Amino acid sequence: MTEDRLFELIEIWGADPDAYPESERAGAKALLAAYPQRFAAALADARALDAAFAQLPDILPSAALTEALIASAPKPASAGAAWRLPKFAPWAPASGFAALAAGLFMGLMIAPTASAASDTDDVQALLEQALGYDPAALTEEIAP
Amino acid sequence: MAFTSDLDQITRAAAGDPAAVQSLVHRYSPGVLALATRMLSDRSEAEDVTQETFLRAWKALPGWEPRAKFSTWLHRVALNLCYDRLRKRKESLPGELPDMADMALAPHEVLDQSERVGAIERAIGALPERQSAALTLCALQGHSQAEAAEILEVSVEALESLLARARRTLRAQLLEGRTSA
Repeated sequence: MTEDRLFELIEIWGADPDAYPESERAGAKALLAAYPQRFAAALADARALDAAFAQLPDILPSAALTEALIASAPKPASAGAAWRLPKFAPWAPASGFAALAAGLFMGLMIAPTASAASDTDDVQALLEQALGYDPAALTEEIAP
Repeated sequence: MAFTSDLDQITRAAAGDPAAVQSLVHRYSPGVLALATRMLSDRSEAEDVTQETFLRAWKALPGWEPRAKFSTWLHRVALNLCYDRLRKRKESLPGELPDMADMALAPHEVLDQSERVGAIERAIGALPERQSAALTLCALQGHSQAEAAEILEVSVEALESLLARARRTLRAQLLEGRTSA
């Protein structure tokens, strides 16, 4: 540590040698202890500026700002999300079409095998049950 | 140790752990806000910069690689956002920049505490941007030489030059004028 370098350190970092770069701290302290008068004026100057900085109040975030910062952070993944379907599954439309096709195919296969007569009887029975009377008999009564 | 602790909290915060998020906000938002406030001399703008800085941090968390300390990275982002705003101010208000001469205290001035604080803040705010940032990081926030140089993206020698010029200017404005009375 040279005297010139110590004057520089005082000018750059102020009067407190603990604020100096770690690698130069011990050398600076030793020189200051050996020649206190030589650096007294520079230290007094630096101390006055350090004191001015010390008067500045701390700048702290308001509660509202802190809350806003926390609210803007990533949200935790909710429990069970791993097995839940995503909002859009690329394969979903394809499966819908497959189900529609299967339904149409089954309908076409079954329709020709159904007997027309038995269908008519079934419909007749259902109508009678729903209306509370036999519409076929009524039709016969009205007919001339 | 703090480095490991940061990494652990960053990993947990990226997964949405509320405790880790709160810890990062409580630990780093005061420094970011203070830096932005000193740089911009405007609390509201400084809060905007702080919010933007943390938004960028949250986006960066999932792919975070500890090439730099989280604190260093965060302050660098904040500082660059401040530079952007200061540049826009200069572009929009070219004739309304503060006059350095106005920052000096007249020798006869006797200032009370709040006036003195105001004068110091104005003088720091009127320094050239990089000097103001260097002084804030080192003299006011206690960042190490290496960390401040990394935040400012300058060499240690360049940092020392910025600090020396900043302190000389402030000494001339805040001290020499008054003591010469």
